[in-house]
This record gives sequence, structure tokens and C-alpha cells, in this order.
Amino acid sequence: MIEKDLQIPEKKEVQSGAESTRNAPVFIPAVDILETEHELSLLADMPGVPIENVDIDLEGDQLTIRGTVPRQDGPGRVLLKEYAVGDYYRQFTLSNDIDREKIQATIKDGVLKLVLPKSEAVKPRRIEVKAS
Amino acid sequence: MAIIRYPNWPWSDVSTALEDFERARRQMDRLVSAFTGQGSAPVVSGVFPALVVKENGDKIIVEAELPGINPQDLDINVHGNTLILSGERKPDKVEDASYHRRERKWGSFRKAITLPDEVSPDAVQAECKNGVLTIVLPKAEQVKPKKIAIKSE
Repeated sequence: MIEKDLQIPEKKEVQSGAESTRNAPVFIPAVDILETEHELSLLADMPGVPIENVDIDLEGDQLTIRGTVPRQDGPGRVLLKEYAVGDYYRQFTLSNDIDREKIQATIKDGVLKLVLPKSEAVKPRRIEVKAS
Repeated sequence: MAIIRYPNWPWSDVSTALEDFERARRQMDRLVSAFTGQGSAPVVSGVFPALVVKENGDKIIVEAELPGINPQDLDINVHGNTLILSGERKPDKVEDASYHRRERKWGSFRKAITLPDEVSPDAVQAECKNGVLTIVLPKAEQVKPKKIAIKSE
């Protein structure tokens, strides 16, 4: 494996018309989307979001992920601030038919993992070529 | 407003002027974010991970967002008033998958930070919760503020 130095990820704020009612910035989480034969997996970096504050919504083919970070302005004087804390929001349009009943969401070490199993109808089938 | 002339108009001068402008813009950004306390915070060191350092009485609190990093792959060292954070974020092992998006980064990191005071290394506590690391460093006895009692006769 090649040694690689991690860079500070740039936190991009959501640019949308609707403003949040909370006075906190809303960021776009970095995601990985990978597809296997049977399912689509989505991994999103959402540090500071507890599992109960994750909101996943699938409406039509529009998948919305929302994560709110509990406000925790602990006592103390801030000496250095290299990052801002805020909520996370991102929307995706799903192209494949997803089996809604079997969607699973887990969160571990601040990474949300969403497993979206494909419905039976769209699973790729191997087409046999018959020689006559 | 002063107008600066570039007598020979070489491109190097133009690029220096652009650099000056860029620096002024960055300083302005920093000033604005310092006043409003909002928006993307200025990255001071540029070394992963980005930190938030707070002081609370006789404690120094260091926070970092480390999503997807197993606490076992994290190393915290304290030498006097220097805190060294090192670790690695490992790529997820997935077999036979094709990526539609790959924005999450992985790799190793090592960051040193000078704390405003000396801390007692034995009393340092670290906790990782929901991908956010919090290190609580109590200040060393000799630098703790002492209240001096005044005797009256």
C-alpha cells in the first residue's frame, strides 16, 4: 500500500434557496457510492452526528440525507478554530429501483453507511447466448 | 486611492500584484470570519486533522473531526507542551464493487501542536465519539493559577 498523507477536507457549505432555521452552517458530506451486483452502498462522512439525529428520506427516486450535530458549546475560551461545526445535508437521485423495505442504515465512528438493496426486477441477469 | 504603475509591464509584476491581492482577500476573509464567527473557519496550519483548541480554567481541550478512523489506529503523544497526533485512515475493503463516487479520502497523518501551557501527561484523557476526538489535557501543577491568601493580623 502506498503511504499517503491525509489532507484537510474542505467543508463545502450547501448552497440552496431554503435557509435552515438553526443558526449553524450546513455542509455537504463527502460520500462514496459503490455498486455491487445486489446492492448500492453509500458511505458519508458525518462526524459528530449521533445515530438518532440522522434523517434518511426516500421520496420517489430522490434520496435525502440529513444529519444534525447536537449543539455543544462547552464552557471555555476558544484559542484555535481550524474547522466549523455544522449540520450535513445531501440529496441524490437514484437511478436503480431500490427495494425500499430492505434499506439499512448504520453509523460507526462518524461514518454513515446506507445499504440500498436492488429490487429483484433490476438485478442484472446473465443472458445466455444459444448457438443454433 | 493610489494607482500603482507598472513601467515595463512584465508579467512577473502582474503576478506579484495578483498575489498581493489574493493575500489581502484572505486577510479580509479571516477578519470577517473572526467578527461573525461563522462560515468556513480559516485553516491555520493546513495539516490534517483540523483542530479546535479551547481553554477552560485549568484544562486545555483539543477537538478534531476524525470520521472513519478506528480509535485503535490513533496515537496521541504529549511532550511538555507539545501534543502530537498521528494515525491512519484505512480504505474500506469492498470486493467486486464499482464506484460511482469516491470523495472520502484515506491515508496517514501526523500533526504536532504547541499548547499554550505545559500539561501533566499522566492525567490526559482522550475520547472518540461519533468520529469526533476530544482530548482533555489538565495543566501541569506548576502553571496552574494559584490563589494567594492574604494574612491579616
